[in-house]
Amino acid sequence: MVEAMGRALSTSVRRHESLLILAGAAILLLATAVLPLVRLVTEIPDAIDGFALFRSGRAWRLLGRSILLSGATTMLALCIGVPLGLIVGRMDVPGRRALWLIHAFPMFLPPFLIALGWFHLLGQNGFLGSEESASVLFSAAGLVTILGLTFAPVVTSLVALGVRGIDVSLEEAARLVAGPGHVAFRILLPAVWPALALATTVVFTLTFSELGVPMFLRVEVFPAAVFARLGGVDYAPGEALALVLALLPMAVLLFLLERKFVSRRSFEVVGVRGTATTPLSLGRWRTPLAAAAWAVALASAAPIVVLFLRAGISSNGPFAFVDWVAGAPFNSLLAAVTAATLLALSGFVIGHGVARGSRFAAVLDALAVLAFVTPAAVLGVGLIGVWNRPQTGFVYGTAAILVVGYCARYALVAIRVVASAVSQMPVDLERAAAASGAGSGRRLLRIVLPLNARSVGFAWLLGMIFCLRDLETAVLFYPPGGEPLTVRIFTLEANGPEPVVAGLGVLHVGITAVVLVLGSAFIARCTRW
Amino acid sequence: MVAPAIELVDVHAGYCDHVVLSGLSLAIAEGESVVLLGPSGGGKSTVVRLVLGFLAPAKGRVAIGGQTVAADGRTLTPPEERNLAVVFQDLALWPHLTVHGNLAFVLESKGVPRADRERRIREALARVGLNDKERRYPGELSGGERQRVAISRALVQDPRAVLLDEPLSNLDAPRKRELMVMFRQLFEESHSTVLHVTHDLREAAALGDRIAILENGRIVQDGSFAALREQPATPFVSSLFEDLDALRGPP
Repeated sequence: MVEAMGRALSTSVRRHESLLILAGAAILLLATAVLPLVRLVTEIPDAIDGFALFRSGRAWRLLGRSILLSGATTMLALCIGVPLGLIVGRMDVPGRRALWLIHAFPMFLPPFLIALGWFHLLGQNGFLGSEESASVLFSAAGLVTILGLTFAPVVTSLVALGVRGIDVSLEEAARLVAGPGHVAFRILLPAVWPALALATTVVFTLTFSELGVPMFLRVEVFPAAVFARLGGVDYAPGEALALVLALLPMAVLLFLLERKFVSRRSFEVVGVRGTATTPLSLGRWRTPLAAAAWAVALASAAPIVVLFLRAGISSNGPFAFVDWVAGAPFNSLLAAVTAATLLALSGFVIGHGVARGSRFAAVLDALAVLAFVTPAAVLGVGLIGVWNRPQTGFVYGTAAILVVGYCARYALVAIRVVASAVSQMPVDLERAAAASGAGSGRRLLRIVLPLNARSVGFAWLLGMIFCLRDLETAVLFYPPGGEPLTVRIFTLEANGPEPVVAGLGVLHVGITAVVLVLGSAFIARCTRW
Repeated sequence: MVAPAIELVDVHAGYCDHVVLSGLSLAIAEGESVVLLGPSGGGKSTVVRLVLGFLAPAKGRVAIGGQTVAADGRTLTPPEERNLAVVFQDLALWPHLTVHGNLAFVLESKGVPRADRERRIREALARVGLNDKERRYPGELSGGERQRVAISRALVQDPRAVLLDEPLSNLDAPRKRELMVMFRQLFEESHSTVLHVTHDLREAAALGDRIAILENGRIVQDGSFAALREQPATPFVSSLFEDLDALRGPP
């Protein structure tokens, strides 16, 4: 009898294995990303007094201004990124790989470090600075330019990946009858519109959530107003909640736009197809376009070089920052490695489910989208509401809260990377395993994981980088004495010695570069099947 | 009475609003080799997916060894519990596993003890003449060798039935002939029940005890090659033989 019951239970578990595995990943997503949003919705009645802010019209103006700035930044990033993506993806410019690398690297850094670099270049006392250049820098135009340049590599990279993945025969058929410009804009670009839609969503979302650059350049934006009411001189948590709740409809709108224009199409964008052919010849346009592309790439990298220079010019030597660093790099790495590992694991399970058409996984993917497009300030306030209580002090008072925040905000990154790779793996490989008697867990571990090891590694690396560069989520709830490096630099930026702040910035650049190099080397060692 | 090894009863199936099968019924006896022949896009692979368990019939019933495994939109027995083997058109050999690894994975999944596993792998590879290639990866083999690994992987697990989803369609004529002879011999030796789907009448003639013609989502004729040739039931069946005769040229 007991044996029969045991057998029945074992069969039942085996039959629901895929659901149980997905449920494990779902718990992580629900606990980190969904609970804070639910908590915010339940707090709407408590924020009634705070909504008085909106009567004055100032809050509305601030909201409108933030949307406009984000829109302008997105437009600038598209204007730079689309042609550059076509060039580095398919054109015969010299050194296009190096060009792509130099242009893309700033994308992996916190944007306020780039702003800091521009400050040391164009600020009043900067290397090339003057009063005029400083006044442009510390303005809305300066903000849009810096963020546009910082986020342009998102567009460049997605467009370049998109055009490299296009079926070669489409391009070759067009090349028989049209020049390279015509082929690029009439054939390649329309074929990568999912990449453009994805890039637009990502850049707008990142810009709207951006806190460090607007605060540094003293440009008033909505997330900064929330931050000021949570920890600054304007401390007023009720008003912060009201401001945050006003952003929820925007998060929902962005979510709906993502569902309509991107969603599963993003799989076509970040694919792993290698179809590189002979690059399109630019003919007489080659030299001027190559010069322009290299100028943009060098402009992207200029603030990093300036940071290095500024850190080196210190009366206490280039390592003066060491006394100021405390445990911040360790805090950053610990939280980022833990979060990236959880992101890669859950992303693998959910991403596989999404690629194979599981409805449960599709719902989880949608929730991850909602968490990603929700402004960081909104998610941060929700996380504080959920975890800031005596019973959960072991999370809120430790580095665990950083891990929770990172997992909430960046779950989508890992899910989409894995979903994209798995959707390009022949489903018959899994069907053959299932027909041979392998259950869901065995198929995932023995067939899907080895065949997608590179993509899972890439998801881990991307998750790690997103966590390392994060400021706007962590700054709202980092534990006492456990601040990550971004927060450390950001808090010193206002009053710390300039060479020290620049030195800490260089340290961050170094850590990011080492992580990227080691991560890429490890991924390259995973055999590509 | 012995229950058929595979049985589909009044099966209706499709994708979204597109109806692929409408009232298909087919029974395959133990040890019998049946070829399902039909035009491209006619639903042959849908039948394979239904039998394997990757699709449930919207209406109707699928039974294996007399036990209903799916009926009226519900999958009752998942693919991994049906004890079937399949060779897909693209073979679906796991590229990260060696030839030995491909066969071992199947036996491990079935819980076969290690010693027995090794013996069965050696025997299976010997039958297809590949025992010197067991440490090779699929990417290191020729097209014909990969076909032999695929059939070997299907047979090593001693399945209740083997399903072949056009595995010979991408081969040149001499290689195809060679493998058809090998397949026939292997299936006869192992007394396997086989459901082979194809659009090639010559392949059907070579490999099937019986040929079932799938047209407009149902079986329109079912019999031996000779019987079909003698009395084609529909213009499509007639056209198959006319094409074959045209290829052979005037007598």
